[in-house]
Amino acid sequence: MEKHEGQGSTRREMLKVTGAAAVAGSLAPALAGAAPGARTAFFTAEEFTLADELAELIIPADDHSPGARAAQVAAFIDQLLHESVDAGVRSRWREGLRSIDALSRQLHGVAFMQSSPEQRVAVLERVSQNEASPERPEEHFFRELKSRTAFAYYTSKVGIHEEMQYKGNVAIPEFVGYDAELLDRPK
Amino acid sequence: MAEVDLKTVYDAIVVGSGAAGGMAAHVLTSHGMKVLLLEAGKKLNLDQELQSMRWPYEHPRRGLMRPNRYALSASDYQNETRPYGQGNRFSRYTAVHSYVQGWSGTDYSKNIVVNEKENPYTGTPYAWVRARCVGGKSNIWGRLALRMSDFDFKAASRDGYGEDWPISYADVEPYYDKVDLYLGIAGVKENLPYLPDSIFQRPTKLNLGEVKLRESLARTGRVLTPYRAGVTTDGLKHNKYRSRCFGRGACGRRVGGCDIHAAFDSPTGLIAPAMDTGNLTLRPNSVVCEVLTDRSSGKSSGVAFIDAESGRRYEAKAKVVVLAASTLESARLMLLSRSRLYPNGIGNSSGHVGHNFCEHIMGPGVTGLVKERVGKPPTLDDGRPNGFYVARFRNLSERHPNFLRGYGFEGSSGLKMFPDTNQPGFGAKYKKAVRDHAGALISMGGFGEVLARYENYVDLDPKVKDKWGIPALRFHYQFGDNEKKMAEDMVVTAREIFEEAGIEVISTRDKYLPEGWSIHELGTSRMGADPKTSVVNQFQQSHDVKNLFVVDGSTHVSAACQNPTWTIMALAWRSCDYLAEQLQKGNL
Repeated sequence: MEKHEGQGSTRREMLKVTGAAAVAGSLAPALAGAAPGARTAFFTAEEFTLADELAELIIPADDHSPGARAAQVAAFIDQLLHESVDAGVRSRWREGLRSIDALSRQLHGVAFMQSSPEQRVAVLERVSQNEASPERPEEHFFRELKSRTAFAYYTSKVGIHEEMQYKGNVAIPEFVGYDAELLDRPK
Repeated sequence: MAEVDLKTVYDAIVVGSGAAGGMAAHVLTSHGMKVLLLEAGKKLNLDQELQSMRWPYEHPRRGLMRPNRYALSASDYQNETRPYGQGNRFSRYTAVHSYVQGWSGTDYSKNIVVNEKENPYTGTPYAWVRARCVGGKSNIWGRLALRMSDFDFKAASRDGYGEDWPISYADVEPYYDKVDLYLGIAGVKENLPYLPDSIFQRPTKLNLGEVKLRESLARTGRVLTPYRAGVTTDGLKHNKYRSRCFGRGACGRRVGGCDIHAAFDSPTGLIAPAMDTGNLTLRPNSVVCEVLTDRSSGKSSGVAFIDAESGRRYEAKAKVVVLAASTLESARLMLLSRSRLYPNGIGNSSGHVGHNFCEHIMGPGVTGLVKERVGKPPTLDDGRPNGFYVARFRNLSERHPNFLRGYGFEGSSGLKMFPDTNQPGFGAKYKKAVRDHAGALISMGGFGEVLARYENYVDLDPKVKDKWGIPALRFHYQFGDNEKKMAEDMVVTAREIFEEAGIEVISTRDKYLPEGWSIHELGTSRMGADPKTSVVNQFQQSHDVKNLFVVDGSTHVSAACQNPTWTIMALAWRSCDYLAEQLQKGNL
């Protein structure tokens, strides 16, 4: 049941993206997920759409909170890659995104963004199967993609406040000591 | 640049403005002495640097440094050639920092720690963390404030290794009390002879996982106590520069730092009040390169320093010179101060300056899952410097077959701002797993005594110099067998402790971190009664030069396993009281 609902919500998100991507295509370089009028600094429009979709698949919107797309994870990654002085990391991302598309064509005969939601999940399942000890380039890329996505998401407003409902970083009016009774109660 | 009258003969010059130098400035000025405090680094607006409560998303890179800065990793320390940060690989970076800048939130401390490129050192691998700015490392310290006991001061008598300290707990206890009351410390009384209690303000709160562990440990006579933090939780009426702690979450952001100064730091805890006496002159950007000697008396006449910005050399004069530049920098300075009278460096007739270098070995530890917390609604577990401390339990009444001395564990449990994201897979299931487990993790790691050994030492590199042309330090330092066996025991025992408490172990860290990682370097100018085998006496006064004092961690005879800052400050206070009295009597 839960799984079914999850898929439903993913599919609804998918429709939104497809719509946004279509608009993006006609109004390039305005981009799906980015703030209106924003330009990417490193990703091409196609790369951005793909990275945005991959991030959302890793951390999707669910009935608890919005996902990576709403948290503008891809825009943050784009900025970091743009600023990086490490040309290696930029080319790894470019090649990594290409390898996702290549795997999609190999498995399903179409580019990732042209495939169905189920097919997209299948590609991610394939690249994440050796997550603990990745070997193939696309498996390494999955780890990079996931760790950057998680960092960007869980440091975002959405991640901290809506998803994690973090209670701290506020001045507590009365600082209370630990509960001595709880600790010292007889065993 | 601060206007400083260099024609004046000050009562004392203090070199270094961290915990030790700040304490020396505070105590000496309170005795009415005119003090010149020299700091190699800048005077920063720390509140602006730290911005403790800024949310990650309010920062353009979520707290990360600009990518033209680099932080060394554990493997860099082992694999890169020394000096670190100088090879081709690093040419693209404008600054290379020690590993502490590799933690998240690091953009807030990049101006506090040094650029390795400007501050090279050579020799054996060592993670040397240095902060050059007013207040030094006290601006970002971990804040665990522990006392030592006669189990430590008289350790050699107990197990036959090394040297006893020339003092006992009774000598230091009144000064620990003074430090507690003047600076504030939060904690819980436990009545342990091997980890004496402080005069505590309100403690921080243990959360569920931590209470569970405390109760389980208590069944075997071991003690987990809330983190004894050098933080004022009740406030300090006598210090208008510091607020009491409000339990704000940013305390968990690493590197540390507290923009309301509830956590002790030297600039607000010691230097600002010392300034208010009217007796203190502070000159930042002053890289001291030599302790000067008066040839006729053999006493020190002051110091020479280089202005960090202009590169010009100046001299300042004083009746007494107090070194507090940190364990390794004070030793370096003494070795640099060679003259016809003191060919091996000032205060070094024993040849022990730079030697008996010791610290803490750290890293081995364990992470576990507190099942009761999985999937529970979020609670506020943040707003403290750390969660708990497990007091030493090895070699107290029984003798461990594999190693001497002991170790403690530092750790915490509960929700933090950034959750543990190491759950497998992706999608809604991954997201829920991160959410459900975030508050349920507990982890701890060991800090153990590295035995003081003569053959672990630093000296001056014959070729390499720093940005100001001052010879760099060269390390000859390695962990020994005792430390490695102790590190093995940390992992095995941490695992047992968790299992006994019903906490599922989900990962262990078996390998100790590189030398230097604890940032607790000690021992390079040790105290002792015998001038042939020690550098200073029990009042941290040079055996050779009676108006030269060394009041930082370099004078520690052994490292013990307690974090050293509180002891450094208690000893500095004691020595500066003695110094002021002797100066008044005309004995210096």
